[in-house]
Amino acid sequence: MRGILGFVLVAQLLSVLLFAIGFFPQKNVMNGNATFSINKKLQEETKQPFKKLVLIVIDALRSDFLFDESSSNFHFVHSKLNSGEAWGYTAYSNPPTVTLPRLKGITTGSTPNFLDALLNVAEDDSSSNVKDQDSWLKQFHSKGYRMRFFGDDTWLKLFPLEFFNDYEGTNSFFVSDFEQVDLNVTRHIPRQLEKTEDWDVLILHYLGLDHIGHKGGANSKFMPAKHREMDQIVGKLYDNLDEDTLLIVMGDHGMNDAGNHGGSSAGETSAGLVFFSKKLSKFKIPIRQLNARLPITSNSSDYQYLTQVQQMDLVPTLAALYNVPIPKNSVGVIIPDFLQLLDPNIIDTKLLENYKQLLELSKVEYDDELFNLNVFDLEKRSECQRIMKTLQEKLIAATTEYDYTMLAIGCFMSLVLTLVMAIFSFFQMASNKYFFASVLLASILGFSCFGSSFVEEEHQIWWWVITGCLFISAAKTMHYFEHSVILLCLRLIRGWNNTGQKTVYPYVISKILEENSTLQWNLNALTFFVISLNGNQNSMWGFISSSTLGILCLAYKATWAVVNKEIVPWYIQNIMDNCASFFQDGNKKDYSSTLIPMASFFLHSVAAIIFFTLLWGKFNKHHPSFSLKCISKYVTILMMFLSSSVNIPQFLIFEIMRSFISKILKKHYNSNIYLTSLISLCLQNFAFFQFGGTNSIATIDISNAYHGISENYNIYVIGVLMVLSNFAPSIYWAMFSWDIIYDIKETNFNKWASFTKSKIPTSLFNCIVGLCLMLACVMFRYHLFVWSVFSPKLCYFVGWNLFMNAIFGWVLEVLLLSITN
Amino acid sequence: MSKQRKSKQPIKKRVTFSDDTTVTRQSHGHKKDSIDHEHPPVFVRKTWLTIPYHLIALLYYYIYGSEFDSTTLLFCLLPTQVAYLIVQFNKCTIYGNKRLKINYSLLLVSIFASLLLSVPAAIIAVLFGAPVVNKLFETWLLGLHASFLSYPVIYSVFNCDFKVGLWKKYFITIIVGGWISCVVIPLDWDRNWQTWPIPVVVGIYLGAFVGYTIGSYI
Repeated sequence: MRGILGFVLVAQLLSVLLFAIGFFPQKNVMNGNATFSINKKLQEETKQPFKKLVLIVIDALRSDFLFDESSSNFHFVHSKLNSGEAWGYTAYSNPPTVTLPRLKGITTGSTPNFLDALLNVAEDDSSSNVKDQDSWLKQFHSKGYRMRFFGDDTWLKLFPLEFFNDYEGTNSFFVSDFEQVDLNVTRHIPRQLEKTEDWDVLILHYLGLDHIGHKGGANSKFMPAKHREMDQIVGKLYDNLDEDTLLIVMGDHGMNDAGNHGGSSAGETSAGLVFFSKKLSKFKIPIRQLNARLPITSNSSDYQYLTQVQQMDLVPTLAALYNVPIPKNSVGVIIPDFLQLLDPNIIDTKLLENYKQLLELSKVEYDDELFNLNVFDLEKRSECQRIMKTLQEKLIAATTEYDYTMLAIGCFMSLVLTLVMAIFSFFQMASNKYFFASVLLASILGFSCFGSSFVEEEHQIWWWVITGCLFISAAKTMHYFEHSVILLCLRLIRGWNNTGQKTVYPYVISKILEENSTLQWNLNALTFFVISLNGNQNSMWGFISSSTLGILCLAYKATWAVVNKEIVPWYIQNIMDNCASFFQDGNKKDYSSTLIPMASFFLHSVAAIIFFTLLWGKFNKHHPSFSLKCISKYVTILMMFLSSSVNIPQFLIFEIMRSFISKILKKHYNSNIYLTSLISLCLQNFAFFQFGGTNSIATIDISNAYHGISENYNIYVIGVLMVLSNFAPSIYWAMFSWDIIYDIKETNFNKWASFTKSKIPTSLFNCIVGLCLMLACVMFRYHLFVWSVFSPKLCYFVGWNLFMNAIFGWVLEVLLLSITN
Repeated sequence: MSKQRKSKQPIKKRVTFSDDTTVTRQSHGHKKDSIDHEHPPVFVRKTWLTIPYHLIALLYYYIYGSEFDSTTLLFCLLPTQVAYLIVQFNKCTIYGNKRLKINYSLLLVSIFASLLLSVPAAIIAVLFGAPVVNKLFETWLLGLHASFLSYPVIYSVFNCDFKVGLWKKYFITIIVGGWISCVVIPLDWDRNWQTWPIPVVVGIYLGAFVGYTIGSYI
């Protein structure tokens, strides 16, 4: 029986993976480099308006940070915009709005594909680079421009290093660092300004603003200072550069008010874009800017300021201004305002070149009749621009090709498996209402896959299901007190974080705790105290080991907070100092240097203690539940270690809920294994969302994946820690079922029979939901939200299946069970 | 009325909040001689008379007439519920083997009790996920609606020996109606009727309608 279930699990994973391979194919790109095609000689000989280029990318620079009165502190930029020496735009950045795909868009001018968004998180080196793709950097390089780059090392992974004659990358992953990451870029500027003749193109990419957003949201108190810092840098560069230099300041994407990005909301897709040059004041200012006075007072929240352009339009614009061919895959259209800067003889040629390149990309034959250089007047020019815009829209909307064979295989396999599993579980759980409960639950979730808003707001569905179940249970058993306590706990957890995409509540518990650090740390200390103590009253070894781990973890979290300039109460400071003294040489009070040794000591201790507990249990022939109980305690502390400090008190609430739920299950439901497994499934999902997780790529939390990792990190360790930290609450609730399934009081206890029984409802659930999700993805493959809703959901589903179900639920649990007696 | 009756009884009084299923079952074959005079059976007659037509009218007004003005709806609900209790619901409530006359002072007491009960109702709504801080008034309004929807039941609870067990199902249908109606909240249709608490108000009205209609059959 276990064999059949295991087979279903593997086959189901396979079907989802096959489907995903068909759903996320690599996009076809045109290879080779572009060359001039019309009036080659004229183009090559023309005089270009600018000789040098300085590009400053400020990560997550939303349009209002540059232009809006209420949030912008870029005073230098405002003054130049008002004097006409700078032209400002709101640049639409195509989702997925994360750095790597956006950089591809900015440099190659192509629309991003969904895999890039994932690779941005996974930081995979091999498949995401654009070394073979045509980009303006490549064109600049082959024209002999000497380029320099300082900033986010994503650029260095994207492009061959020989493009740059001087470079330094900064790492984008220590998200809590707002200052050093930018100082590491800024310190190169004086040297560059001293010897401007040594370079032609200077690219700077600042990450600090994005980090502030991730940490404190768009209205963080650190924002104004960061704006001023960036503004000063822009001012310094601008003042020291001559007329022949174009300075561009831009964001690669925006952010929402919570500081996240990745999706397609107005805040995330509206990035700022400003061109600076002393030369610009000689030309006609863009019409929308002419009537505006910066900073703009705006009361709408659509983040649209001044002229709106596509971010990709930068690519042909740069190509025209610096007289290089437009990169082959670019879908950009030259920004009309910049045509006046070109040599009057060449304007039409450049336009036609752009038009022809877009036609080639849309695989339409170039028609000589429509536009001919000999009869190009102003009217023709504007018509050409209009046609290019329509072409661009079509190109952006065109989705990638799907691999239909793979999709069909995946769906078919999943359908067969679902039927097999349904029949199998119907007979296994025979005449059991929990079979129907599992099917009902899976159907609700499966049905919800077909609605994009239900996918975005999946936490609401889990909340709805859980409150419903609790209500039924309360009405049935009539033990209102226990049920009310659980409901209260659930409600507190629901109010802890903002999740989903629809509503952002201003008052959530995590925000309140962030503002009252004393309260937060008192609660955290209480949580560690309770978790270490609870359930260990009779076991000396359990008590000592878990309290040691608890104190160590608390000390580490507090040190981390202090390094990040938070304040902790005096008694935690004491514990922290005592612990820190073990990891420091000498007496100097440098907390940041203790972080890594402390964390790695903690991680090693957890591993060692789990190992000894298993060994001890084996040696003394303990009941499996004994070892499992100890291990779940250690893993809980590990999960707290991997959670952000505002979420730690949730574990205290979990602990209260857990004891009440166990009590109810044992008293009124006879410790039914199917029910336990279903409840565990619901709570795993519920807690995942209430920790701040969603079905969007934007909320994958990477800030907790770097504990105990030194500079020369191993990508796989970080990957494992990232997955663990994102699934931390789910792991807690997966372990909750161990208490009941492997209960010591159970007569004629057979651990393998219990294990198999507990896996039937989850397997059934995964089969049904997987099938529905695949069908939804196929059905909505041309839907507007396919990249922002359905694809991320599919990725999350793979993640849940692969990690929570296969690795944690099967591999680790089987391993633990076979080691224990 | 219940107070008078109780004061005449010298025997020790018992107020029970438990689910008195035996009493409800007796309602099918009640005989005069089997009636326990201290705790006579209480039940609701199975008749068309219990259907609360006014709730449908109110909903119609709410949706098409008032552009989802929950406050006005509440002011309309109160008199119609009192009328429904007097004209319809009380006539179907059988205490022992007779209908009880309307106790007018108890009507007022029940209104007051409903007002008070709106607070626990709002708390229940919050526990079931209603927003607390920024939409507190709306949540309380929802609580008011819920408690006035159950006004006839509250009156009957007072009037018939506090046999909460019998009346529980009416409260439950209201809650279930509200619970089901939450489904529309996450949808991204951006309609004005999706704002809190409109969907749930509609849901509890429908729940109450179903409850009062088929309550006697459950």
